[in-house]
Amino acid sequence: MLTILILTPFLSALGVLLPVRKVFRLKLFLAVCLAHSLMVASFWSRLPASEYHGFLVLDSLGLILLSIISFLFLSVSFFMVGYFPREPGRNRVFVTCLLLLLSTMTLVAVSYHFGLLWVAIEATTLFSAPLISFHRTRQSLQATWRYLLICSVGIALALLGTFFLGLAAHDVHTLLLPALLKGASLLSVNWMKLSIIFFIVGYGCKMGLAPTHSWKPEAYGEAPGMVGVIMAGALTQCSFLALLRIAQICNKTGLTGFYSSILIVSGVLSLIVPALFILGERNIKRAFAYSSIEHMGILVLGLGLGPVGLFGALFHMINNALAKVIMFLTAGSVAQKYGSCSADEVKGVIHVYPLTGVFLIAALLAGTGVFPFATFHSELLILNASIISRHYLLAAIGVICLAVMFIGIGKIVLDVIHGQPKKPLLLPKENLFMNVAIAVAIVLLMSIGLWMPSALEKLLHNAVALIGAV
Amino acid sequence: MTSWVDASCIIIVFLSLIILSNYRVAAMIRVFVIQSFVLGLLPFFMHASCISGRDVTISLVTIILKAALVPYILFWAIRHVSMRSEIKPIIGFGASVIFGAMVIACAFWVSLSLKLPGQPFSDLILPCSLSTVLLGFMIMVTRTRAVTQVLGYLILENGIFLFAISLSDVMPVLIEIGILLDIFVAVFIMAIVVNHINEEFEKAGETF
Repeated sequence: MLTILILTPFLSALGVLLPVRKVFRLKLFLAVCLAHSLMVASFWSRLPASEYHGFLVLDSLGLILLSIISFLFLSVSFFMVGYFPREPGRNRVFVTCLLLLLSTMTLVAVSYHFGLLWVAIEATTLFSAPLISFHRTRQSLQATWRYLLICSVGIALALLGTFFLGLAAHDVHTLLLPALLKGASLLSVNWMKLSIIFFIVGYGCKMGLAPTHSWKPEAYGEAPGMVGVIMAGALTQCSFLALLRIAQICNKTGLTGFYSSILIVSGVLSLIVPALFILGERNIKRAFAYSSIEHMGILVLGLGLGPVGLFGALFHMINNALAKVIMFLTAGSVAQKYGSCSADEVKGVIHVYPLTGVFLIAALLAGTGVFPFATFHSELLILNASIISRHYLLAAIGVICLAVMFIGIGKIVLDVIHGQPKKPLLLPKENLFMNVAIAVAIVLLMSIGLWMPSALEKLLHNAVALIGAV
Repeated sequence: MTSWVDASCIIIVFLSLIILSNYRVAAMIRVFVIQSFVLGLLPFFMHASCISGRDVTISLVTIILKAALVPYILFWAIRHVSMRSEIKPIIGFGASVIFGAMVIACAFWVSLSLKLPGQPFSDLILPCSLSTVLLGFMIMVTRTRAVTQVLGYLILENGIFLFAISLSDVMPVLIEIGILLDIFVAVFIMAIVVNHINEEFEKAGETF
C-alpha cells in the first residue's frame, strides 16, 4: 500500500511531463490528490503493514503528517483548477514538481530509517525550489537561489548529524528506528549529543527556525499562494517530523533535558524574531511568512516542554497546516486579483470582493490564534505547558510575542481590507473553486476548535505515547 | 593499506585548499574532479584485503556522478553564464589561504577530543573530513559568484562523504546511492537556476 502511495504521484509526474493540454495536467493532479487522500483516509481505520524490511512504516506520528500533506495537496489542487485558467504562463514544470513533492513528502512521512528520511527531506527541498520562481521575475529567482543555498547547506549539516548518529549507533549496526530504540542503552552519549546539535541546526534550517529563517520571507513572498501553503504547511512540518523522531530516541537515552533546552532556546528565538520584524512589513505574503516562523517556534517550544506541550505541538501541526491553507490561498487569490500583494497597492478588498475580504479576516484570526479557531487551543496548551513546567518568563514572552504578531498582521490585513478601493487592473470575478478550497479549510479549523472528534484525540494520544515524553 | 587511506585524506584536504586559493573557475572545477576521483577510490583502499560488491558500487557511483556528471553540468553552466574567473571575493586569495590553514588546524585540534568508536581505518579521517567541510563552508561564504558557491557546497559534501565512507555498516548501499543522487539533482537544479538568473541579469546588463 505504502509503495503504491509513493509511486502513484511519482509516475503521474512523468505523465505530466508529456506535451499534453494545460487543463489535462490540472485534472490529473486533482485526480491523483483525490486518490491519495482517499487512501490516507482508509489508513485511519487500519494502519498498513510495514514494507521493505521495516524501512517503510506508517505509525501514528506519520499518519498525522501524512493526513496533513494529503489534505493540503487536495485543497491546493482544487484551488488550482480555478487559479490556472487565468494565468498566462505554462504549468508543466509547476505541476510536475508538485507531484514529485507529493511523492517525496509521502516518503518522509513513512520512512523509518534516518538515512532514508534524509534522502526524502533533501528531495523535497530540491523539488520545491522551482516552484518559488514560477513567475520568473528577478526577485523570485534570487529568492529561489537563496532558498536552495541556505537549505542545501542546512540539510548537509543534517546529513553530518545522521552520520554522527551512525557513529553513536556503532554497536547497533543500523539506523532503523525500532532497532535504535531497542538498543538505546548501547548508544554513545557524546556522539548522540553532537548529532542532536547538527540535527537541530540542519532540520531547523529547513523548518525556518530563527537564526536561519532568512530565506522564508523572501521565498514565501515571491512564490504563488499555493506554494506558500505547501511549504509553510507541509514542507516545514516534514522536517519537524525528523525532530520528533529524534525526540523518540532522546527520551530513551536520557538526553531529554539536553534536547529540550536547545529546543526551548530556538523556539523562543523564533517567537521573538518575527515579532521584531512584523510591524514594518507591507507585503501580505511576507507578513504571513513571519507568522509561519512564529508557528514553527511554537511547535518546537511545545516539543521541548514535556507531554502536555507535546500534545499541544502535535495538535498545532494540524491547526497550523489548516491555518496556512486559509492564509496563503487567500493571499494567492488577492495577488491574482490585484496583481500585487503589497498593502500600498491593494486596498478596499471588502468593497470590491466581499467574500475574499471575509476570508482575509478569517486568515487573520486563524493565523494569530483567536477563538473559535483551533489554533487558539493548541497555542493555549503550549503556554499552559510552559507554566506547568515553571517556565513563567517563557510564558510571558510567548504571550507578548503572540500579541505583537496579532497587532502586526491585523494592521496589514485591515489596511488591505479597508481604504479607498483603487480600481484593480484586471477585475476578474470571484472563482467558485478557489473560494470552496478556502471555505472548507475555514470550516474544518473552526469545527475542530469547537469540538474535537474522538478519532483525532485518540490518534494524538497514541502519537504522544509513541514519542514517550517524560 | 592504511598509508594509502592516510595519503588520500591529506590529498583531499590539500585539493580543497587549492580550490580556495584559485580564482579561475574552470581550474577549480578540474581540481574538484581530482578530489572526487580520489574520494571515489577510497573504499578500495579501506577494504583492500576483501573488496565487496558494495565497495565497487559506491566507488563507481561516486566517480560517475561526482567526477563526471557534476563537473559536466558545472562546465555547461559556466559556458552559458560566460564566466571565467571569480572577481571580488569577500576575502582576498592570500588571506583566504591563511584562514584556510587556521581552519585546518582548528579541525585537527577539535578532533583530538573526539574519539571514534570501534577500530577506525585511519586517525586522519575525522580531522580531514572536518577540515574539508569547513573549507567548503569558507568557499561558500567568501565567494560572490554563484558557480563558486555551488563548488563550495560540493566540497562540503565531499567532506561529509569522506566521513561517511568510514561508516560502512549503518547505511544500506541503496540509501547511500540515494544520497549521491540527491546531491547530483541539487547541482542540476542549481545550475538551471543560475542560468535563469543570468538571463534575467543580462537583460539588465549586469553580472551575477
